[in-house]
Amino acid sequence: MIVEVSDLKFSYGRSLALDGVTLRLAEGAVGLLGPNGAGKSTLLRILLGFLVPQQGRGRVLGFDIRLEPLSIRRHIGYMPEDDCLIPGMDGVTFTAHFGELSGMPRQEAMKRAHDVLFYVGLGESRYRPLQSYSAGMKQRLKLAQAIIHDPKLLFLDEPTSNLDPIGRKEVLELIRDISSKKDIQVLVSSHILSDIESVCSDVVILNRGRLAAQGRLSDLRAFNYRLYEVRIKGNGEGFIGRLETLGCRVEETADKLLKVYLPPDLDNRKILAAAEEEKVQVRHFVRSQTSLEDFFAQTVGVD
Amino acid sequence: MTIREKGYSHWDGKLEERRFPWWPISRLGIRLAFKKKYFRLLLFGALAVVFVFIVGIYISERIEDFRHMIKDEGQLLKIDPAFFYTYLSNNFMLFMMVMIALVGGAGLIADDLKHNSLQLYFARPLKKIDYLLGKANVLVFFFLLITLVPGLVFVFFKLLFAGNFEFLKTYPWLPVSVIGYSLFITGFFCLYALLLSSLSKNSRYVSILIVAVYYFSDILFQFFFENVKKDPEFGLLSLRVNLQQVGAWFFNLKPKYAVPWYLSLLILLAVEAVGAVVLSRKVRGVEVVR
Repeated sequence: MIVEVSDLKFSYGRSLALDGVTLRLAEGAVGLLGPNGAGKSTLLRILLGFLVPQQGRGRVLGFDIRLEPLSIRRHIGYMPEDDCLIPGMDGVTFTAHFGELSGMPRQEAMKRAHDVLFYVGLGESRYRPLQSYSAGMKQRLKLAQAIIHDPKLLFLDEPTSNLDPIGRKEVLELIRDISSKKDIQVLVSSHILSDIESVCSDVVILNRGRLAAQGRLSDLRAFNYRLYEVRIKGNGEGFIGRLETLGCRVEETADKLLKVYLPPDLDNRKILAAAEEEKVQVRHFVRSQTSLEDFFAQTVGVD
Repeated sequence: MTIREKGYSHWDGKLEERRFPWWPISRLGIRLAFKKKYFRLLLFGALAVVFVFIVGIYISERIEDFRHMIKDEGQLLKIDPAFFYTYLSNNFMLFMMVMIALVGGAGLIADDLKHNSLQLYFARPLKKIDYLLGKANVLVFFFLLITLVPGLVFVFFKLLFAGNFEFLKTYPWLPVSVIGYSLFITGFFCLYALLLSSLSKNSRYVSILIVAVYYFSDILFQFFFENVKKDPEFGLLSLRVNLQQVGAWFFNLKPKYAVPWYLSLLILLAVEAVGAVVLSRKVRGVEVVR
């Protein structure tokens, strides 16, 4: 297990941030999801050793989060959400500096800084002062400093925030590359569900400091919903009303396509039966994938 | 901008546990300080005084050659503990230390707070003390460069110009005093600068604080001393006077003000204790808002 925590509890004064969270993360890219105040950042900070939990225990890469925070930090990379830089430095010195602080020999850190800056696409800008970097470049720089020491586990906190669509796509491509081909485990905390969907195979959802759901993305989708796309000719209102009485959730798109979410225990033939009873003609009937957005909304109880 | 101009490769080295994890922080801080033009000028100004004092030592040894130029054998030309005390605790030296703290120390923590860099440092295998030592040593380096190094250089030149060890036989404890007082004022100004640097994210505001707190304490003393009562105990209000009082004890001299030196020491230590507590609370990997 890469990360293993049990019964974690942490509060900021009277405000409870984590309430008995227990989870085990296996290898691969894992998405950490949750609405604001769900406890995502607190969990990351506890795993990093920035905060000490008031209750519970845990291990990251086999190191105890209470007793061996320095060993954990030696083997992980962290890309924070906020813009972080040291004024007066250039990209390569900045990256090498943090490599050195991770325990790399000075010359090795400098050599590797060049490599990782090329890797994240900052090769040409590596001697420019950091103050002149754009938002996208700063984001890549943060990724570079996180991977310079070749960590076994990478914590990425909102890696695509402040990025334009192209920059976002490129950073996601990098993360996908790192997690799928480079033998580096990745834990991505994000509120952009499509980012998690495109990068992660597993997901952890926190809500109000508690674990709301955890598992493989495909399993979670399959378990909670079956989505059918239906196009009909005839009285749509009666048909929709009948489906809703069966416990389905129905959405109608602008082009009159009905998205029917079936509860796990309902047979899909009931849709066709309902159509027959309402005398509507079914012209299109296809099973579709539920999105993470749907699952997330259902799990944390928001629309 | 193309992405992945070069593929990712694993690093096959071994991450070391450093004996002094703060060293890269100090080295970088010193390098960045030297990049500032004003800082280089300031350091040059502070070190220029050293040459004046070395000339003084030379003249003191060749006093007969210069007799026609000097009407009176002034205090400067007598090389004794007071000579070293004068160098290390004169108003100009203390002013230069405040200036170095201002130009080189104001941004040490304030800039990291402003640019959210603390979390990057603490995501590394660094303890809080390593980070603080790394930052403090930047100032320690420059302060010792203008206090301890010249102090020992003066002893060396005195022996060199005299051609014997008579001076050390007379004052065998003097090198220890030079080292002790240099370390003391270095430690004080270090904590003073870091304390104020941790109070704000704006290094300009910190710069103002560094000068203002130091001189306000002195103005307060002058005001009470001149306008209320000529009571030397008002000297305890001034950081400058306290530093000079403790300095007099280090060099076995009579203090300028008739106040026990240990009271001055206690006040300075109290300031340092407050500094240590504030630093410990303000410097952390995450900003916790309760």
